[in-house]
Amino acid sequence: MTTDLSGYVASRVAILDSVRQILRDTMKLKIEPEAIDPDAPLFGTGLGMDSVDAVELVIQLDGKFGLELAGSRQAFLTIRTVNTIVDAIMEVRGES
Amino acid sequence: MSYAPHITGWGVASALGVGRERLRSALLRGETGIAPVRRFDTSLFTAQVGAMVAGYESDDRDPTALCHEFGSLALRDALEHARLDLDCLRTRRVALTLGTSLFGDQNTESLARDLAKEFCIEGPAITVSTACTSSTQAIGFAADLIREGFADLVLAGGIDALTPKLFAGFDALGVLSEGPCTPFGLQMGTTLGEGAGFLVIERGGMRDAVTYSVLRGYGLSGDAFHETSPDPRGRGVAAAMRAALEDAGASEADIGYFNAHGTGTMANDTAEWCAVQSVFGLELGGALPLSSSKGHLGHAQSAAGVLEMITTLECMGAGLAPTTAGFEGARPGGPPHPVGTKKPRPLAYELALSSNSAFGGNNCALVFGTAEPASAGTEEVRPVFVSAAAALGAGVSSMEELALIYESESAPADCSLDIDLAAELPRVDLRGIDRGSELLTAVTSRALSDAGVRLRGQVRERTGLIAGALRASADSLERFHRSVERRGLAKPDTTAFAQVLPSAAQSACAKALNIRGPQSTITIGEGSGLMAAAISARMLAHRSDSDRMVAAAVDVKAEHLSGGALGDAACALVFCTTPTSVQVAGIGIAGPDQVNAAIAEAQSSWGSKEAPELVIERPKPFAGMPASSSSFALAHALDVLRRGRARTVLVASQGTTASVAIILVSTEVMHDN
Amino acid sequence: MSLEDEYRALRYGSALSRMDHVGLVRLQGDEAIDAVDAVCSGDLWVRDGRMLQTLVLDEKGQPVADVYVCPDNDACIVMLEGITTEKFSACLARHADADLKFELEDLRPEHELFSLHGPYAWEVLSQWLTPDIIGLPYLSFYRFDRGICFRAGKTGEFGYDLMMRTEDAREARRELLELLGSFGGAEVSLETLDLCALENGFFSIRHGSLEGLTPLELQLQWRVSARKQFPGLAAIEELRAKGMSRRLTHFVAPGGVKTGDLLRGRDAAVGEVMTAAYSPAVGGVVGAALLDISVAHPGIDQFFVPNEEAAIPIRTVSSPLLVNRSLLVDPHHHRYSTREDATPLPLWQGSLP
Repeated sequence: MTTDLSGYVASRVAILDSVRQILRDTMKLKIEPEAIDPDAPLFGTGLGMDSVDAVELVIQLDGKFGLELAGSRQAFLTIRTVNTIVDAIMEVRGES
Repeated sequence: MSYAPHITGWGVASALGVGRERLRSALLRGETGIAPVRRFDTSLFTAQVGAMVAGYESDDRDPTALCHEFGSLALRDALEHARLDLDCLRTRRVALTLGTSLFGDQNTESLARDLAKEFCIEGPAITVSTACTSSTQAIGFAADLIREGFADLVLAGGIDALTPKLFAGFDALGVLSEGPCTPFGLQMGTTLGEGAGFLVIERGGMRDAVTYSVLRGYGLSGDAFHETSPDPRGRGVAAAMRAALEDAGASEADIGYFNAHGTGTMANDTAEWCAVQSVFGLELGGALPLSSSKGHLGHAQSAAGVLEMITTLECMGAGLAPTTAGFEGARPGGPPHPVGTKKPRPLAYELALSSNSAFGGNNCALVFGTAEPASAGTEEVRPVFVSAAAALGAGVSSMEELALIYESESAPADCSLDIDLAAELPRVDLRGIDRGSELLTAVTSRALSDAGVRLRGQVRERTGLIAGALRASADSLERFHRSVERRGLAKPDTTAFAQVLPSAAQSACAKALNIRGPQSTITIGEGSGLMAAAISARMLAHRSDSDRMVAAAVDVKAEHLSGGALGDAACALVFCTTPTSVQVAGIGIAGPDQVNAAIAEAQSSWGSKEAPELVIERPKPFAGMPASSSSFALAHALDVLRRGRARTVLVASQGTTASVAIILVSTEVMHDN
Repeated sequence: MSLEDEYRALRYGSALSRMDHVGLVRLQGDEAIDAVDAVCSGDLWVRDGRMLQTLVLDEKGQPVADVYVCPDNDACIVMLEGITTEKFSACLARHADADLKFELEDLRPEHELFSLHGPYAWEVLSQWLTPDIIGLPYLSFYRFDRGICFRAGKTGEFGYDLMMRTEDAREARRELLELLGSFGGAEVSLETLDLCALENGFFSIRHGSLEGLTPLELQLQWRVSARKQFPGLAAIEELRAKGMSRRLTHFVAPGGVKTGDLLRGRDAAVGEVMTAAYSPAVGGVVGAALLDISVAHPGIDQFFVPNEEAAIPIRTVSSPLLVNRSLLVDPHHHRYSTREDATPLPLWQGSLP
């Protein structure tokens, strides 16, 4: 992990806000993006996404961040919460 | 008087061949019509195969043109089988019921209109657009038209064409198998197909025709569960099967073969097997010969029901049970021993059950065969009443506002509608609901609430919904098409795809409000609302699987995003069998140019010598709302009767592909007569 | 049985536990759900036969109960943690419209609740109940001959709660324990359940003091409605306007970290430990800490618990921490008896600081 804490946090926060925005739009939630807890489960309970939402989310994440999840076995592990998505994006960017 | 619907012929344009003889010989040889797709590029998709109509594998014309050609071929084939020519059709009370769910730019009823014209069908043409149950339901409604004497002969069936967008949508949802599907077998996923099929269904003994089979009954239900996944415990499918058996006057022990929907997806096949075990019991269910025809024909979508029924009819006539092509071993969670031999297996049976399920949870089952019903039995016809109505559109949101427009003959307001559905239904998750679903849910909820109906327990199973809609909601259509334009076919907006069905509003409404009884989405173009009302009322009168039916209609103006106006509208009426102050006295259904015939029929079934005191015949002042305007008229009629402004009212509509007339009277008038 | 053995049973096979800490009430009447709606913080977007997890908050916005709301036709079953039935009843009396007609029945005197958890819990039940239990969706319930089966669970594995009349419960428990034998199963304590909940990031009303905390800090905004009135709304709105100053974040550490420990970064205090426990999967401590909002993110190695001998480093992590076996088990295809002993993925894929 980078020793530059503030730089790391800044990167995370930027991606966090972006992912929250995508979720809010994909699921047509009528809440502010900040109201989406970073560790809230996306499926089952939590935000209550379903498999149809998941497809759209994966497309959006690919489009915005180049995160290739479609058809990957790891996909369901990556999209458990907003933070796990951010983790994956940070890793792709070599910032984790 | 109830007439039995005789099946005197059929015709197909299918992946196994155009013409029933080609279909039969291919079936008997155990062939499959699934092959690598040549019509468009599938390299971006997971699935690579499809079941295109034989000879049209590379034909990439406009899908509406393809559908028309398939339909035309199948109709000609059917007429030839039934030994009918166009002159015969012209001189009889002939109707068309067509299952199709185009999601192009045209209204869904345009296909029926064009085919009716080509084949000189002058009676009513009703289009059912409930995705994979469309043709199954169309066949069921055809049975009603014959049984209740609205038509002497019905051409019933369905048509669909496989397009790149359809393929893309299903592929993105992850429901397609890479190679040919193996229903109940080891590959997961389905294979898309296309085609057309028609049955000739007529009143027995009317002419010198061979009766190959009798359509004994049908059943409808809704899962009210999810936009794309079926209820995993198969409760909706089981309900449709039970309703079909009851309608047929048969018990599950009488069924000798079951043609399953059997798409090959895990979700469908396991749910369907749960349903079979639930309806037939473990022992009978385990021994019941069953198969899915999708291994042969792919999933022909709107044409699936009719093509699968014809597959069964062909095999039944040859003393065979259709097989599941491609079957090489049972999957866990599914039936352990479906008919999976290379070719159809010898089996003598007199009664068959066929079932289909669709996105949004619509289910439909059919019972047909050569077995005679146990007893002729007089059918009980229940009186039907109207208990409530709700309307939204063109500045109207109450019966008073509606009355004002009719009585003062003023123009309806050109203003957008503001509804806070979340406030009206605080305990329903309305996220992602589209405009059409929102409108339909609002009026249905208000009407049921006014009628004092709480959808709890058994009430949910015994409340149905018939919706008139010409197309899918404009916002969903736009979102889907835009996503394909911007992101390409490999990345369509799947939430929009799940809603680009004309029946999406009906299923969303059913799910939001928990309506699980008989349900459908139909269109006759202009006048669809009144046709939905006619179907709802007739179902209540002649069937016993529901106690109330909501007849609704919805229009979403294509330019709604820039502010809704006259075109954004919805209306719902609640029909029931418990007495209220307003009763349905007569119903008439006829061809599009025959509104007077429809009116005469309604008058005649009322049986009164008097003319109705009030007649509402034109859709004006609500032109521009083709589905809802006639429902508005009916809602206004209800209001007039309740206020005592008249005692008898006729509402008629000369629709695009059918005419409908309904006479409502105050209940005391019925007692007087 | 040691905690480690119980944990192994739950995470790899199946486990049975008593749920005596959960209250059970049934509100009867068409308006029962409206009463529950008035006291719960979340939108009750839940249909008959389904379950919804939500909270009851006090006027300060602090969670006082963790509840499952389970509508059942003209009744509503509520499972309560953290609050007595009496207090819940008082809550209803205080906040629900006085005109609402419903009857509240405490189900506890005559019912017991116990649960099955684990990657093969469904298989145990498919033998004890019926095979089509595997079709029961997550967060839904159904009635069987001897009681009600709720599919929920707060461990990250398949979880089923069984509510039965006391006279049937003893025999049922005996039958299940017997079945468990062939599933690598065991009876497990509340401590094991709480450890599993912590590892998977499930909120527990028993994990540390909630004094001064609201759903915002606790990452439970998903259980709070954006549109309705409920007790605690004003406090939450006030905090939203002000901005929260800390947030719950999970962490791992080599050992020796306990509830209440202060956490420091290079230059300043950053927070305190809310709860911590030893995890066999991690081989160290897992915990949840309230961190200053500016640093409340996973993936940070710089924080530590100051100590006389040597500072104990912690690493913040995303939750859930584990790749639960249940994620890899498909009830249609897998069986406990044919599972692979050499599991393809370790339960925890991270490393200790």
